[in-house]
Amino acid sequence: MPYQIIVCGGLAPDPLQTLEPVPGAASPGLKNEMMLPGVLDPWASHALYEAANLAKQHPGSTVRLVSLAPKAKLQQVLMTVAQKLPFELMALDGANNGFSDANETGKALGEAIAKLDPPMENLLVFGGWESATRGSGAVMQIVAERLGIADVFLAVDEIKVEEGGSFLVKERVEGGKHMVSRCSAPPAVLAWATGNLAEPPNHPQTGMANMRVIMPSLQKATPTAVGSGMSFASASLPKQVRETRIVKDTSAAEIAREIAEWLKQ
Amino acid sequence: MDELSPQQPQEIEQPEMPVEPKPLDADILCVGFGPATGGFLTTLTRFLASEEGMAVQSRAFPGMPPQVICYERADDTSFGVSGVVTRARAFKASFPEFSPAEVPMAAAVAGERLVFLLDPTGAARVPWWMRVAGNAIEALGIARNSAFEVPYIPPFLHKGDGFIFSLGQLNQWVGQQVMMTGMAQIWPASPVAEPLVEDGAVKGIELAGDGTEVRGELTVIGDGPVGAVSRRIDEIFGMPEGHRRDEWAVGMKFVIDLPESCDLAEGTVFHTIGFPEPEIFGFFYVHPGRVASAGIFVPSWFESPVRTAYRYLQHFIQHPYLWRYLKGGRLRSWGAKSILESGRHGEPYLCGEGYARIGEGSGSTNVLTGSGVDEAWLTGVQLAEAVAGIYKEDLPFTKANLQAKYEARRRSSWLEEEAKVAERARSGFQSGLFAGFTGMALAGFTGGKMAWPRPKQDKRPATLEQFYRTRLSPSKVRELRAKCEAEGTALHDALMDEAGWPKIEHDGELLVTQQDALLMGGKVQAPSDAPDHVVIREPELCLDCQNRLCIEICSGEALRPGEAGVPAFDREKCVHCGACMWNCTREIAPGVSNIAFCAGPGGLHSAEN
Amino acid sequence: MDKILVLIHTVEGGALPNAALETLAAAQSLGGEVVTGVFGEGAGPSIGSLAVEGEAFAQARYATDAAACEALIKASGAAIVLAPHTSRMARALPGAAARLGGVVDTHVVAVNTSDGAVEASRWFYRQRIEGTFSRAARPWVVLIEPGSYEPAEAAPAAAVTKLEVTVGSKTQMVGFESPETGEQTIRPDAETLFVAGAGWTKKQKDGQTHTPEAAELIMGFVRGAKSSLGSSKSLVDMGSEGQSVLPFLTHLHQIGQTGSTPRHKKGLATCCHGEEPHVVGWRFVRERRAVNMDANCGWARGKADVLYVADAFEVMRELNRLLG
Repeated sequence: MPYQIIVCGGLAPDPLQTLEPVPGAASPGLKNEMMLPGVLDPWASHALYEAANLAKQHPGSTVRLVSLAPKAKLQQVLMTVAQKLPFELMALDGANNGFSDANETGKALGEAIAKLDPPMENLLVFGGWESATRGSGAVMQIVAERLGIADVFLAVDEIKVEEGGSFLVKERVEGGKHMVSRCSAPPAVLAWATGNLAEPPNHPQTGMANMRVIMPSLQKATPTAVGSGMSFASASLPKQVRETRIVKDTSAAEIAREIAEWLKQ
Repeated sequence: MDELSPQQPQEIEQPEMPVEPKPLDADILCVGFGPATGGFLTTLTRFLASEEGMAVQSRAFPGMPPQVICYERADDTSFGVSGVVTRARAFKASFPEFSPAEVPMAAAVAGERLVFLLDPTGAARVPWWMRVAGNAIEALGIARNSAFEVPYIPPFLHKGDGFIFSLGQLNQWVGQQVMMTGMAQIWPASPVAEPLVEDGAVKGIELAGDGTEVRGELTVIGDGPVGAVSRRIDEIFGMPEGHRRDEWAVGMKFVIDLPESCDLAEGTVFHTIGFPEPEIFGFFYVHPGRVASAGIFVPSWFESPVRTAYRYLQHFIQHPYLWRYLKGGRLRSWGAKSILESGRHGEPYLCGEGYARIGEGSGSTNVLTGSGVDEAWLTGVQLAEAVAGIYKEDLPFTKANLQAKYEARRRSSWLEEEAKVAERARSGFQSGLFAGFTGMALAGFTGGKMAWPRPKQDKRPATLEQFYRTRLSPSKVRELRAKCEAEGTALHDALMDEAGWPKIEHDGELLVTQQDALLMGGKVQAPSDAPDHVVIREPELCLDCQNRLCIEICSGEALRPGEAGVPAFDREKCVHCGACMWNCTREIAPGVSNIAFCAGPGGLHSAEN
Repeated sequence: MDKILVLIHTVEGGALPNAALETLAAAQSLGGEVVTGVFGEGAGPSIGSLAVEGEAFAQARYATDAAACEALIKASGAAIVLAPHTSRMARALPGAAARLGGVVDTHVVAVNTSDGAVEASRWFYRQRIEGTFSRAARPWVVLIEPGSYEPAEAAPAAAVTKLEVTVGSKTQMVGFESPETGEQTIRPDAETLFVAGAGWTKKQKDGQTHTPEAAELIMGFVRGAKSSLGSSKSLVDMGSEGQSVLPFLTHLHQIGQTGSTPRHKKGLATCCHGEEPHVVGWRFVRERRAVNMDANCGWARGKADVLYVADAFEVMRELNRLLG
C-alpha cells in the first residue's frame, strides 16, 4: 500500500554551538539566535530518513516535510537536507525555538496538516519524539489529537509493515527495552527516536530534483505566529563548575587502584 | 589529478536515488561561495529579476530563466573566515542603503589606531634596529602598556569610512538575499573536485563525493586561494608570463566575549605590528554586543620554521596592550584560513573558454591596503555585469567575449589601479624586515612608482638549527625533535618553551588548548565517511624533511608526526585552511608540492568568524 | 491553591513504579488538596481514590491510556495534574491534556509555589539551559522527571471510585524485546555509568588502532563493575556506518546532545574529548571521573571531580584485573 507520510520537523542550532539564554519580550530567546547555524532537528531528521526508507519500500508513497521556522533560515538548512532524500515541503514561516510553547506549536502544526485534508486510510504522520530545542515530547500527540488519530507511538525505533497492511512498531521504554505493538492499519502518528538508519550521504541530483518543488513551497510559506501560554520567571545556564582534581604522572596501576576503591565506596 | 588523489569519482551506493545518475545541466555554475561569488550572484540575480533580465532565456532549458547554481564546499554558507575591516566601497555600491544593523556582528568603523607592539617577553626575534627603536620609545617615556600608538596612519591603510564584519555572518546574509530571489541556488556541503575540461574549454564541473558531473555554459571560479578547481585550472592552462602564486599567509583569529570591564566602543579598530614576531601583523576590532575579533597573519616569508599561528595568537592576545581589554574574556569562536598575498603578481588568466576567475584566487587581494573582501566582491560584480551584457547581446561565453566584457572592466577599475600600486609593495620582505617595511612605505607613498626590488632568490625558511642558533644548541634541537617525534606532537611548543616564550597558562575560558579551540571555537566537524582530502603524494619524500613545516603550521593540529617519519593526517581536525600545501617544502614536479590538498567536506562549523 | 490530581499508572502485577511515589511527594510539597487517580492493571486496590482498570488498560497504548487519563482528570475536577514522566505517561498525557483544552509540560524537575502560583522548572536545549515558568491555562498537566523527588509514603485508598471508560483501539501490544546489547546498555538501576569516547578507536602510541582490545576492555569493565554503558555520538556514528568499530554500540547507548542524560550515582568517562554537547550527557551523574590524555580537556575540566591523565588502555587493563 502506498503511504502518504507527513513528517513534522523544525530547526535546531547546529549541535556544537554555544547557547546562552537572553530575555525576550514574551519568552526568553537565545543570544545571537539568528546567527547560529541551524540544522533540521536531529530526531526529526531520523524521522525523515525513516519516512524516505518506508516510501521507497512502498512505491507510490509520498513524503512531505512540514516545518515551522523562519523562512530564510529554513531555506538555508534545506539546501543540505534536500540533498539527502526526496520529499515535498510545506513551510510555515514563523519564529520557533526551545522556549516556544509545545502546546501551541502542536496546535499550529495540527491545523496546518488538517488544512491539507490528507486521506486518513493511508496517512502516517512522523516526527521526532522530542526535539533538541524544547525536548518536550508532546507536539506529536497534540498533532494527533487535532487530526483525530488515536494510534500514537512515542520513541519509535522501527516500523515493520506486515502483509495485509498491519504494521509492527518498536517503541523505547524503560530498562533499555523495546515495546512491540501491532497496529492494524493507518492512520497513525509515529514519533521517532533514532531509528536504525544512518544519515544518507548528500546527493546533488536529489537536491536539484527536490528544489523544483521546495523552492515554490518556500515562496508560498504561510506566516504562522505561535502564541505562548508560558510566563517565564527565569532562564539561565547552569552555574555548577566542579573543582577538578588532575592526576598526572601516576602509574596506570596506581590510578586503577584509586578508581577501584572509589567504585567500591 | 594524480593517482593518489582521493578526488576520483567515489563508488558510493545510492539506494535512495530517485533517478539514474546522469550529468546535470545548468547555465552558470559557480564554484565556492564567498564574497566574490556573493557579489556575482547579488548583481546577476538582480539583473535576472529585472525587466531586461526576464527576457533572457536559459540556453540549457529554453523557456526557463537561466539556471544559476553555486556549489560551496563548507557545510553552511556561514562558515567562512576572515578578519574583515573594510572600506566596503564596492559593497556599498551594491547596497547604497546598507545599515550595519542588518548583519549580525557588523559595525561602522568608529576609531582606528596603528599600534607598534614592543616585545614584553624578550623571546621574539627582533632585529637590532627594531630593538633600538623600541628601547628609544621606552626611554622617551612614550610607550604605554609596552606599545606605541603611531600618531599617523598612512592613507593607504585607512579604513575609517568602512565597516567591520564577521565574514560568516556577511556571507550568510548575502546568501539568504540571493536565495530569496529564487533566481539562484547555493548548495552547501558540495565540494567540487575539478573542472570538466574538453578541447581547451571548461564545460562544467565534477563534484567530489559521488563524482556527479554538472555541465554549464559558464563556470565561475571563486573557490578562494586554495580551491581545488582554481589550482587545476592553473595546472592545465598555466599562468601568465612571470606570474606566480608564491606569497602566502595563514590568518588566524579568535572571536572573544569581552569582559564587563572593557569599555571599548564598537567599531574600534587596531592594526598592529611588532609582536609576537616582527613579521607577524595583527588586528583587533570590536563588534557590537561587547564582542571582539583578534587575529594575526603568519606569512610565508617568515624565516622561522616554527610557524604555529595558534601559539603565536595566544601570545598576541596576552600582549599588555590588548590583554588589559581581553583579560577575563571568553572564547566564542576561532578559525583560520590561507591568504594569497601575491596579489596582481599571482593573478592567473582571468578568463578562458567557458570560464572566468573571480575573488582571492584571481589575485584580487591587496596586501598594501590589507584588504581583500571588498576587492573580491568587486570582481564578482564586474563579472556579473559582463554576464548581463553577454546575455543582452546574445553572445556565447567565449574567452574573447569574457575578456571584452569582464577583464576589460576589471582593468579599468580602481581595483587594477590599486593592485598595481601594491604589486611590489611587499617584495622587500623577501630580503629582510628593514627592506620590507621600507619597501611598503615607498610603494604606498609613491603610488607604486618605487619599491624595494625583489631578490633573485626568495627567502626560504631557515632550518631549526639555523633559526635557533643563538638560543638553542643544535643538540638540544635534535633532542626536542626526537622527543616530539616519539610523542607524535608538533615541535613548536617544545621549542618555544625552550627559547624563552612564557608558558601558556590555560584558563579553560580564553586561553585553551588548540584542541579545545577546535571544539569550543571552531566547532570543527567532519563526516566520517569522506575520504582524506589531504594526501601525501610520495611519502618517501618526507623522510629526510627536517622542518616539517606542514605539521608546524597546521591550524588544527590535523597533521602530526606519523609512522616512519611521514606526517599523519586526521580529517576530523582539519579546518581546510590549506596551509599544509604551500608550506610543503618537497615538490614532486616543479611547482607541485608533495601534499595534495583536495576538495572535501567538513571543517569549521562556526558562523562567527 | 488549585486542586491537584496525582495521576499514576500501575506496572505489571499492579505495583506502582518508584516514580509514582516521587510524584506524590512533589504534589504534597505544593500544599493544597491532593487527590490520586490510578489506571492500569490492578488499579482498583491501589492508592488512588479514583481508578480506571480492566483488560483494555492493562497494556500501555495511546488510545486507551489517553482515554483513561482524560476520564480521571475530568472526574477529579483538578486544575493541576502531576504525573511521573514514564514512557507510558509521556505517550498518553499530552494528548489527554489537548483533548481537555489544557496544556502539558514534560521533564519537569521541580514544582514550587511563588506568590500562590505554581511554577515548574525544567531544562531546555537538552539540559543546557534551565528555566522556571508558570501557566494560566488549566488543566495544567505536569510530568515529573523520575529521580527529582524522594518517594512519599502512601497507603491504599480508603474508598475508591472506579470510572467506566469504554474505548477501542486498533493497536495491540505484542511484547517486549531486549536489544542484542542486553545487559550492556544504559540501565537506570546501575550504580555506575561507563562512558566510552571516540578515542578508543583512534591510533594509539604505536601508531596503530587497537579496536578489538578496546572492545574487550570496555565490555570487561561493564561486566566486572555491573555498570551501565554509554557512549559519545561520534563513536556510535562510526559503528552505525558499517565500519567494524565496537559493533555492540548502538544509538541506545548514546548520551549527550542527541542521546540520553542518564541518572547514575557515579560516572567514569574514558577517551572522551568534547565540549558542551557531550557534557550534557552526564549532567545528572553525581560523582564523575575521567581518564584521558589531555590535562586541559574541556570535557573534564570543571565538569569532572577527578581527571586522570593517562592511557585508558593501560588503566582499564589494570582496573579490570582488580575487578576480577
